[in-house]
Amino acid sequence: MSSGSSLSSADELLKYRLNARYGATPVLREVEGRLAAGEIAALVGLSGSGKSTLALALQRLLHYRGGRVDGSIVLEGTELMGLSESAMRSIRGRRIGYVPQSPGTALNPKLRVRTLIDETWSAHARGRMDDAARQTLLERVQLPGTGAFLDQRAGELSTGQGQRLLIALAILHGPALLIADEPTSALDAITQAAVLRLFAELNRELGTAILFISHDLLSVASIAHRVDILHEGSVVESGPPGRIFGEPVHPFTRDLVDAMPKRP
Amino acid sequence: MIWRRMALIFLVLVGLSAVLAPKVAPYSYSEQFRDSPNAPPGGKFLLGTDDMGRDRFSRLLYATAVSVTLAPAAAALSVLLALVVCAFHGRVLSGLTTIGMSIPWMFLFIILRAELPLNTAPEVSVVLTFALMGVAGWAGPARVLSGSIREMMEAGWMLHARSAGIARWRIAAVYAWPHLRSVAAAQFRALAPAYVLAEASLGLLGLGVAEPVPSWGNLLRDLQHPDMVRENPALLAPLVLLMLCLLALEAFSVRESVQ
Repeated sequence: MSSGSSLSSADELLKYRLNARYGATPVLREVEGRLAAGEIAALVGLSGSGKSTLALALQRLLHYRGGRVDGSIVLEGTELMGLSESAMRSIRGRRIGYVPQSPGTALNPKLRVRTLIDETWSAHARGRMDDAARQTLLERVQLPGTGAFLDQRAGELSTGQGQRLLIALAILHGPALLIADEPTSALDAITQAAVLRLFAELNRELGTAILFISHDLLSVASIAHRVDILHEGSVVESGPPGRIFGEPVHPFTRDLVDAMPKRP
Repeated sequence: MIWRRMALIFLVLVGLSAVLAPKVAPYSYSEQFRDSPNAPPGGKFLLGTDDMGRDRFSRLLYATAVSVTLAPAAAALSVLLALVVCAFHGRVLSGLTTIGMSIPWMFLFIILRAELPLNTAPEVSVVLTFALMGVAGWAGPARVLSGSIREMMEAGWMLHARSAGIARWRIAAVYAWPHLRSVAAAQFRALAPAYVLAEASLGLLGLGVAEPVPSWGNLLRDLQHPDMVRENPALLAPLVLLMLCLLALEAFSVRESVQ
């Protein structure tokens, strides 16, 4: 897979350059990035470096968290910054899928799995989703497609199940881009590995490009084609995982690589 | 648990007798027996008659029907209005609610009620009395509901629903309503007994439901004459029924909110 710098504009999916702030406090400073169709790019930074802010800003959702964004977001040749809220709504969930960090807070605990799937479906499609399509979707993320599971309330799911459901909802409309914000940080090591494999599979089989946001360099290295290092609101280094691990250039990247756990 | 069940049974009984008042009551609420005014309780008139010779028991049944159906209806109206107002949430609402809560509604109400033409049909006055209470009472529930809505706006699931491109009204109806429902129900349960009491207070001032339609309020006016009460303790029946109903409603709603 090609790295960011050698892209032709034909297969370019996303290109952005953003500033973001909460009140007078700047959080992102001229953060630039691009993503090719079908590419997995990891954005790695410490907590507080502006990772989640970027995830929301790219969907034009940051104002719901009291933030302000300026700059440019071009998705599939369309500049998103000038779009109305209703035009953005037709892009969210349809062209951009979002997998947030914690299923415990991101899934409405009172709603049944069936309702969540059906509502996500009707956001961008007419008619009702049929049982077979629901089952295919759930099996896609290794969840049971049974009636009993569909009738469970989101509040009753385990964290692993919830995270898989969030992924299912995000890929329901076959988006070109998946933004995953720390999607494995709430999971145990084994479930974490399984979810990472799932993302790699979705990328391979559906061709979905993934912007994978994480604080954990090691976990993203296994699936990312390219790693961007975010430090204090700016991207300080960018390259394929092998290069980042082997020859980190920026002092912060070097600290990150040095801090990784070594095999005992 | 036992108290709650007893309260429920009592409320159902009162509700039933209210609904069935036209069938159960021995006489119409306005029928006058001119030859027996102020009759003592007895065989023909279970609670006696009032000074116009009307059967007190029948009037109490009809009054109960008025209070137990219209007070909850007014409470439902208040909560509904609060929800409508909250749908347009924001700074405007918070200011509006503060103003709404600081208006001395009771006095405004007395003035409004006094402005009604004297020939207003009694049935209209009944509905109007409760409708005005319902309209005036929106601010309290709006404040509580808008607090819950503000909390929901910050919720992760709200942001997630938005990220899925779900339409605003679907988010409100499908995602938010299950959370708001219990808050709205609690407001309703708190307001219903308050409106029963409010009507009774207005009735005492002669500004509630107009004669000859009976209500707990205008029946309680007789208590202004202690000597009459000493003579005929059955006059206390509306007061006792009012207290029992309020007690039952409170017992019922306290348990609910603990859950």
